Amino acid sequence: MTPDPAWRPTRRRPGGTPVTVVVDGRPLPAAPGDTVAAVMMLAGASFRRDRDGGPRAPLCNLGACFECAATVDGRPLTRTCLTPVREGMTVETRERR
Amino acid sequence: MTFDLAVVGAGPAGMAAALAAADRGLRVVVVDEQQRAGGQIFRRPPPSRDTAFRPSAGYAWAAGLIRRFDSDTRLTKRFGWSAVGALYDDDRPGVLELAVDRPGDGLRVIAARRLLIATGAYDLPVAFPGWTLPGVVMAGGAQTLVKAQHIAPVGDVVLAGAHPLLLLVADKLMREGVTVREVAFAQGVPKPAELVRALGAVPGHVRMLAEAGGIVAGLVRSGVRLSTRTVVTAAEGADRLSRVRLARLDRSGRTTGPARAVEAAHLVLGYGFSPSTDLARQLGCDLRWASARGGWVVAHDERLRTSVPHVLVAGEPSGVAGADHARAQGTLAGLVAAAELGHPVPAPAFAAARRAVRRAARFATVVQRLFAPDREALGRLATPDTLICRCEAVTRADLDACLAASPFISGVNALKLSCRAGMGPCQGRYCESGVASVLAAARGRHIGLGGSFAAHLPIRPVPLGDLRALDPDASGDRPGGDETPPGP
Ligand SMILES: Cc1cc2nc3c(=O)[nH]c(=O)nc-3n(C[C@H](O)[C@H](O)[C@H](O)COP(=O)(O)OP(=O)(O)OC[C@H]3O[C@@H](n4cnc5c(N)ncnc54)[C@H](O)[C@@H]3O)c2cc1C
Ligand code: FES
Repeated sequence: MTPDPAWRPTRRRPGGTPVTVVVDGRPLPAAPGDTVAAVMMLAGASFRRDRDGGPRAPLCNLGACFECAATVDGRPLTRTCLTPVREGMTVETRERR
Repeated sequence: MTFDLAVVGAGPAGMAAALAAADRGLRVVVVDEQQRAGGQIFRRPPPSRDTAFRPSAGYAWAAGLIRRFDSDTRLTKRFGWSAVGALYDDDRPGVLELAVDRPGDGLRVIAARRLLIATGAYDLPVAFPGWTLPGVVMAGGAQTLVKAQHIAPVGDVVLAGAHPLLLLVADKLMREGVTVREVAFAQGVPKPAELVRALGAVPGHVRMLAEAGGIVAGLVRSGVRLSTRTVVTAAEGADRLSRVRLARLDRSGRTTGPARAVEAAHLVLGYGFSPSTDLARQLGCDLRWASARGGWVVAHDERLRTSVPHVLVAGEPSGVAGADHARAQGTLAGLVAAAELGHPVPAPAFAAARRAVRRAARFATVVQRLFAPDREALGRLATPDTLICRCEAVTRADLDACLAASPFISGVNALKLSCRAGMGPCQGRYCESGVASVLAAARGRHIGLGGSFAAHLPIRPVPLGDLRALDPDASGDRPGGDETPPGP
């Protein structure tokens, strides 16, 4: 179940040719230039969980905190807030660290 | 190929340095892990959806600087690459090897004769109960999500902290139709509005505060509650934030009375900035403690040379002082690099650059004094159960237990080794200030005496296989070797 997204598009967000990224098996629509983190936030997707199972979400959006980290195209600990979307990109949040 | 100058960071400092150096004939490479130049203050939407760049009022030079940087074909630019460390090559004295990494491309090495650390700053982390809950976001994060990624929070927002950036973010959110419930400042009287007015009287006051004056008036008109001497003591909710608790601070910086609850879906935190000094640390540059300038800053001489040969620093890592100052230092650093490498720099050019730095520094000092974080008071916000190290899930109680068990621990590095705080993927950037506060409180010693976390290559997590590229003995072919990394 996905909770209601806590983020929405602003007026300035363009349409453009959509791109699809697959996050934990779920295809999510994205716009060119989006970061993976922004796409996930818009979709209400969950990010990593800490070792007690607690949910986490992007905190700094500038690459410092690693709360947005996920396995992107097989590379673990990739900061999704720094990563622009690419068609067919796969993102796994349930990495064991 | 060997560059004359490698610049890490394409903010105001890095851009100005690169252009000044290239103007003097240096071959310059600029590396930034963001996708575009501008740094944190001028973070831009992706090129595919770019509209004309409108810098915040007062930074009239920004558009010109960015345009010049973007269109300069002399510069080699590497966006999306993170600098993960630098090494000296014994076989090539006077040459530094900067290791850079990009997901999908792996690790490469850039050789350069001078290195400029222009890595900027990030929001100062402050630990308190519930700060790991989704819904809590740093002020810079909220700002850049709206401004560069075009997404806005749904539901009511509370902003809390101690830095005027909060006002800018509150204004940005309201313009997007977001409901801002309250903006809470930890400072007491003078109230933010009075502060802003007072600063307006300072000649050449920092522009951000000029803007803030109008914003305060607007917020008050829209019925947003603006509170002073108020801190957030807890973020609460099941899987997401639903409520924040705000408490009054007394004159000694201690919370008084019961905390009041405010329903909110998002909490935006802005306590100021921490300089990004990890690359400087990895290189062994001396740091010094300067609380009002962000904490640990990179020591340098008046030519911006660090304690490590061939390594210069400009912008926030030399002490947080804002965009005007960062740009001025960048220009000076570019000229210094040129002069050191034997390119003629006329004395008047130097003198003008030095004057610009001094002028910007004067104004920065006023702001620093007014908004210096009360680290002791902020440190007290962490309760025993509060996670100080978010990555490794180390609580304040864990740290206190370590400290009680090992009475000889007197520095943050020893504490890190004994209880793992600071060993996670963020490499301590988000817990160093919290760990230092706990240590200082437990030992009753000044926070600056606890030292700083050491940084080692790689300063960002890099897959193990990629690191082999750095080992000269591993095999004959080092991926990327001495080459410059391919463009984006
Ligand atoms: C989120 C945020 C918002 C801010 N907003 C304002 C504002 O509205 N008004 C104001 O006056 N000040 C603001 N500031 C203060 C700001 O620090 C300065 O005004 C100005 O941006 C400093 O310029 P700089 O060149 O020193 O660093 P920055 O602009 O921070 O640039 C540093 C650059 O270095 C890059 N970098 C860092 N480490 C690495 C690495 N290892 N590898 C590759 N690249 C790296 C970063 O991606 C960044 O682009 C803000 C700061 C932050 C953090
Ligand atoms: S949100 Fe902090 S690193 Fe991405």
